[in-house]
Amino acid sequence: MKRSKLLLFAVLPAFLLLSCGRPYDVRPAGPGTDRAAFIYPDYTDVTLPCNIAPLNFYYTDPAGKAFTTHFFAGGKAVVLKGREVVWKEKAWRELLAAAAGSDITVESAWSSDGTRRFQRWTLHVAQDRIDPYLTYRLIEPGFEVWDDLEIQERNLESFDVRVISDWRHTENKCMNCHIHSQGRGDLSMFYLRGEGGGAILNRGGELRKLTLKNDAMISPTVYGEIHPGGRFGVFSTNIIIPAMHSEGGRRMEVFDTASDLCVADFDGKRMLTFPETSRKDVFETFPVFSADGNFVYYCAAPAHPLPAELGQTMYSLVRIPFDAATGTLGGPADTVWSATQRGASVCHPKTSPDGRWLLFTVAAYGTFPINHSECDLCLMDLSDGSIMDMQAVNAEKSDTYHSWSSDGTWFVFASKRGDGLYGKPYFSHVAPDGTVTKPFLLPQKNPHFYDMMLRSFNVPDLGNAPVGFDAATIGKVWKEMPAESFEKKNHTI
Amino acid sequence: MSRKGRRIVWIVLAAVLLAAGGSQCVFLLRHPYFRKYAALNGISLREARDVWGKPDRDAEQILGMIVEADAENWPKVAELAARKDLRSEVGTYYYNLANAMLGKLPDRLMDYYQPFERGLFLPVGPSSTPFKIACAGDVWFQLGYMPLAERDAMLGLLFSPEHNGSRYLRRLAETNLIKGDSEAAAKYLRMLLNGSREDRKWALACFPENWSPQYRQRIAEKRNLMPQFDLVHGMDQTPLILRILLSANQTNRMALDYLLCYDLLTKDLDAFVSDYNPALTASPLYEEAMLIVLAAKGGMNAENFAHYHISEVNFQRFNRFVTIYKRDGGSGRNLTEEFGKSYWYYFYYAVKNEKK
Repeated sequence: MKRSKLLLFAVLPAFLLLSCGRPYDVRPAGPGTDRAAFIYPDYTDVTLPCNIAPLNFYYTDPAGKAFTTHFFAGGKAVVLKGREVVWKEKAWRELLAAAAGSDITVESAWSSDGTRRFQRWTLHVAQDRIDPYLTYRLIEPGFEVWDDLEIQERNLESFDVRVISDWRHTENKCMNCHIHSQGRGDLSMFYLRGEGGGAILNRGGELRKLTLKNDAMISPTVYGEIHPGGRFGVFSTNIIIPAMHSEGGRRMEVFDTASDLCVADFDGKRMLTFPETSRKDVFETFPVFSADGNFVYYCAAPAHPLPAELGQTMYSLVRIPFDAATGTLGGPADTVWSATQRGASVCHPKTSPDGRWLLFTVAAYGTFPINHSECDLCLMDLSDGSIMDMQAVNAEKSDTYHSWSSDGTWFVFASKRGDGLYGKPYFSHVAPDGTVTKPFLLPQKNPHFYDMMLRSFNVPDLGNAPVGFDAATIGKVWKEMPAESFEKKNHTI
Repeated sequence: MSRKGRRIVWIVLAAVLLAAGGSQCVFLLRHPYFRKYAALNGISLREARDVWGKPDRDAEQILGMIVEADAENWPKVAELAARKDLRSEVGTYYYNLANAMLGKLPDRLMDYYQPFERGLFLPVGPSSTPFKIACAGDVWFQLGYMPLAERDAMLGLLFSPEHNGSRYLRRLAETNLIKGDSEAAAKYLRMLLNGSREDRKWALACFPENWSPQYRQRIAEKRNLMPQFDLVHGMDQTPLILRILLSANQTNRMALDYLLCYDLLTKDLDAFVSDYNPALTASPLYEEAMLIVLAAKGGMNAENFAHYHISEVNFQRFNRFVTIYKRDGGSGRNLTEEFGKSYWYYFYYAVKNEKK
């Protein structure tokens, strides 16, 4: 008995130590840090969908203590104490339901340096729901090499995460980002690169592995999108060159020395190329379909010798008709946003599934905006071509790699605001009049999650339903499924 | 169980624990750098043995060079490298770096194994090993080229077992402090605050408001080496990058020596002549190289000898080398002993092992 008590006293402190874990010290505020707001993530005055997971955060005042946070909405009141504000999911859901279509008023109080501090702020809760699934690739900011890649699907209504493809099941193969067609969980694709790889096409949960390449193309397909009808996909083919900037403040640069467009006929197993979008004197890239599938928007620039004239290489946004019966791109292309007139370069156009909006990235030059701190999102109203005010959305670091929810009321984008290194998913609401709201960062169970995160959320993409596969299935596809050839004959039209 | 039986069990248990502890102590005594290298990579000794296996004596020597280089203890790096010529790219890389930091790169270059340019800059690409990639940025950091120092630290982090090695987090923090990107630096400093006591101490001292005068000077010196203009270049354009560094700061003697040694190790004497300015740097190595150039181009005269600071002694040695070379029909058999550590010998007889 005596011995067992001694054992208990010896083991208990160790157990407590292990179960409590090491407290986070993230030096949240002060000179040399990027914590401007009194809470991190900065959720002050953001607009939320009524089905979002709890917004956990922490106070950044290093000298602060006795933190109290009061939430009021629809006659309900919740008080949470402590530097870390971590919700119980049920309590959060009840508060959110009470506030749908109105506001949650928040009162923050704490002591700091002998002074009582107080902040009143607001969480606006929209009635519009957001598509509940978000896929993204987790990747270290790399330079042609990779390790331990995975694509995850996060449930935005909770903190549940599902791995849909990963390095463990594919012998550490490279994989590119997963994209939905118009936010549909049953129509999506991504690439597994290297031996045994191919474009993985998900149509209604049926998976196919495709080699989207023929002799008329300058490379396998790179950027692209699936047609809403599901039979076709439009893609770019790019000769991609990685490079560096000598000036210390800039990071890796990537440019194309050649790029064309092509169409993949998934049912006919053929690749189609067209003179209008295979010009040697023009770089064509980042093609996407219009919401109705009758046009393809893409970026085009006059060919320049690179990298010598990289700073002058600016892409316009153009549009070309698409015939969904034959898979034909018909010329000529119309200019939607002129790089010459604007003195800037467009990347990553994305049409909203309701057909109303076109969201794209504008950078000073080139096609690699993720390392361009000047790059911002731009929203065009397709009904009249007007450009919306995006000041509420854009930050001083790169904002790009965006996608729409299936009803066109929310968009997500990867922003490097803050550290400038790691892309994080932010969500913003678009009202019918084009008013956009201050974006909020994807909430995490641990409010310190992003402080300890050393990987980027690459190409966050919204989906209205979970994709019907997981990493084990993809592992089987990679190992056992032969890739379907699209090399039959050249269908230049 | 009887009292005696319990006693025997306790004694056996204690003996086993003692043996295990003793074995661990012996291992640590024999491999002190392995443990330190594991710590720099953010993993325990046991995890390191699982991931990397048990190091042999050569590996321990190389890990020692890496650990001491991380602490910028250059005399110790040179001392470790001199213990045994390992004929390894990483070993030579750190030996060269230590000599450069001690201002002796050209003077010592021919004294030990040189795997051509791969002993100056470790190539980074899809065929490079993670171990080499993790080391590749050290030279760029010391040269003052932060874009590649940051790239290689990022890749080192990527390949470290838990993707959070403090060796790389510190480098990433410091490259960003040098670049003046305090927000990016804060990201890594905050992470280090959650690390070991040493990491925490280091990180606290690196927040700009806590800089000591010495640290402020260190940052200023590094910043002084950085190019202030922008040029987009390929990742493997090493001579171009060195020339960019030199055009930014002509007094970057280390960059100049690395460029000239790169020219010499790749046997590109045209580039060497173009890059060499005897007013900025001097070494018997450069004299030896210039003698080959002048002999080939018909410039063996007093004016050139004076301009390139070529000594009478070196000139006489070169004549002797050429005499033996011609006498033996190009065979190096009788040159090895006397001239084995000369650039002339390297130039005529060193053969690149392309497999490496």
